[in-house]
Amino acid sequence: MTPRLAADDLVIGHGSTVIAAGISFEVMPREIVAVVGPSGSGKSTLLATLAGVIPALSGRVLVDGADVTQVPIHHRGIGMIFQEPLLFPHLDVTDNVAYGLRRQGMSRAEANERAATLLQWLGLAGYEQTSVDQLSGGQAQRVALARALAPRPAVLLLDEPFSALDADLRRRLVIEVSEALRHEGTAAIHVTHDLAEAAAMADRVITVPEAPESGPSALGRPAPPA
Amino acid sequence: MGGGDGPLNAPRWLGWAWAIPAAFLAAFLVYPVIVLGARVGLGDGWSGLTAASTWQVAGLAAVQALASTILALVVGIPMANVVSRYRYRGRALAQAMVTVPFVLPTVVVALAFRSLLGSGVPQGFALVVVAHAYVNLAVVARIVGAQWAQHDDRYENVARTLGATRWQAFVTVTLPGLRGAIASSAAVVFVFSFTSLGIVLLLGDSTTRTLESQILRQTSVLLDFPGAAATAVIQLVLVTGVLLAGAMAGRRSPRRTMRPVALRPVPAGLSGIVVRVAVATTVIIVIAPVAALLLDSLRAGGAWSTAWWSAMGSVDAGTTRIGSPLGALGMSLGYALVTAVIASIVGGLAAVAVLSRGRARVVALLAIAPLGVSAATLGLGTLLAFGRGPIDLRGTGLLVPIAHALVAVPLVVAVVAPALRATDSRRLAVAASLGARPTRAFVTAYGSVLRVVMLASAALAGAVSLGEFGAASFLARAGNPTVPVQIVRLLSRPGEESYGVAAALAVVLVALTLALVLLVDRFGMSALQRSARTA
Repeated sequence: MTPRLAADDLVIGHGSTVIAAGISFEVMPREIVAVVGPSGSGKSTLLATLAGVIPALSGRVLVDGADVTQVPIHHRGIGMIFQEPLLFPHLDVTDNVAYGLRRQGMSRAEANERAATLLQWLGLAGYEQTSVDQLSGGQAQRVALARALAPRPAVLLLDEPFSALDADLRRRLVIEVSEALRHEGTAAIHVTHDLAEAAAMADRVITVPEAPESGPSALGRPAPPA
Repeated sequence: MGGGDGPLNAPRWLGWAWAIPAAFLAAFLVYPVIVLGARVGLGDGWSGLTAASTWQVAGLAAVQALASTILALVVGIPMANVVSRYRYRGRALAQAMVTVPFVLPTVVVALAFRSLLGSGVPQGFALVVVAHAYVNLAVVARIVGAQWAQHDDRYENVARTLGATRWQAFVTVTLPGLRGAIASSAAVVFVFSFTSLGIVLLLGDSTTRTLESQILRQTSVLLDFPGAAATAVIQLVLVTGVLLAGAMAGRRSPRRTMRPVALRPVPAGLSGIVVRVAVATTVIIVIAPVAALLLDSLRAGGAWSTAWWSAMGSVDAGTTRIGSPLGALGMSLGYALVTAVIASIVGGLAAVAVLSRGRARVVALLAIAPLGVSAATLGLGTLLAFGRGPIDLRGTGLLVPIAHALVAVPLVVAVVAPALRATDSRRLAVAASLGARPTRAFVTAYGSVLRVVMLASAALAGAVSLGEFGAASFLARAGNPTVPVQIVRLLSRPGEESYGVAAALAVVLVALTLALVLLVDRFGMSALQRSARTA
């Protein structure tokens, strides 16, 4: 079976600074993979590189077997959720969720219908016209999830999306997001520093050991078996 | 100010700091505006409010101001991007360069554009719009740049991962985030262009008249003071409306996650080339007119010459024998000195009043009101109120510096108030707990910052006075013109000599203004750093 997403001997970093080298892994269709590791180990840089936000220093990123390393962000089919929801404040909840669908050329009516379906699934029915300023932290993160899932990305990258939430809400959202991903059949990489959170959500966990005192991050070292 | 509830253990006189600025503003801003309003009721003043010719000029000015605003935004927004967001060698210089057009006197800018474009571009709409856009680039670049510098790029990244192209992400995400700053800067540019006088007089034609030039014409040619008062009132109402609309649009701008964002490295590839070209273009756009002016001051009869510079001390230097260019310079420097003293006292006390509560804050707000009153309106109002009995100040030589101080006070407040707010008020309590009396404690807490910041604001007020033309054109006495008035008079005469001497005089004005602005920058930054260190 062709992996949904694959990293092939990837080298990540900023400019001439290498953060991690020799990164290779695969994410299969419908699979949720967690990457757990300490701060500074290059987890967020890895996600940004996979999404195309920053360029790979070398190596390849493959989506459904196709090399997308040089493909611009908006054509990769990779969605991303950050630590903060980063909802567009000038748009209401529905317009936020429909944003990606509208960019795909979907009509407003169709996009709104898909947005309403996702919002209902995530327990946000009735909030369609609400200003995003009025949402609680948990509601805002659910809207961000709906927005990311709406265009049906090949893979969804989650960059510590629950770390700013309190413990109770985090536990609930981990379950809800996990269910939403499985319901949509979306493969995902979930970056976190919380092993329990990773175990609760993922099919497979990759742990990144502490980086050595000098030299690149340990992210590129062979991952322990799942 | 740390805490923001007003300083603890403040001296009692602080509660009365508002009284001097309140009295000054009541006497020299409110009273002249009332006199102006009363004049509308005399003669044909009421009909002036509905005169078709006045509204026709208002329409022309609005079209011109709209075009100037659009051009300033089109050029200024990319400038804001390159000077505020990227890290490269010479960035601080590029940022300072962008500010230069705004601090240059408008008559100097007009003359510089004449020097740059020669007779290639005829006087009229296009030239006026280009010059207005040039002057106001700093307004757009600074206001929009300040907002853009804090803008979180991750919003665009989210949009891109959702399928938006770079352009779609800019239009659907970045621009709405900058909407407030763009609206605010557009309102300011519109008002500056709508109320322009110096540039319109020197570069315009019959299609580019403004209400400001109409007021000057009504008073100096038609001697129709009630009509001029009516025009001034119309302008005041229109300008206030535009500024309020801009402020409301800015307030309605949605809030979004702001975080301290480090300057970005210039990207590689085509984007990097675009950024570098934009920086180079910015610098060239700013420098070219001033360089052309300097060259024109050194060219006589088609050859290099210092003739115009040598002639500066002569009464016959292309003038109507109203005084030598150096005499005008001396007059302007004298006015600038008096303006600096008045504006820093009035503005400084108004800024100190910000530290208090209640009516004192009202005075601080009133102190920035002159921003909405055009220079010609101030000049005309001052002339009507104090240019003849019962209170005739013409012989005192104070009318020009008083009007200039009114123009400068809002800027002084803008410099002093943030420095005072940034100073930790708990230092008052510390000084008091160590036995200092309230006034001594106040000096201990705020003295060092105030000393530096007052010098900066005095320099700023001096720079404003040196370049101000609108009010001075009403108030400067015929035999004692200021430099900008002298330049306009020189340019109204034909001949190479008049032009060359005007160019030399303008270059001197540029040098003096830039020197004062550099002082402001140095003192202002120093004060803020002191506040930050001790807060």
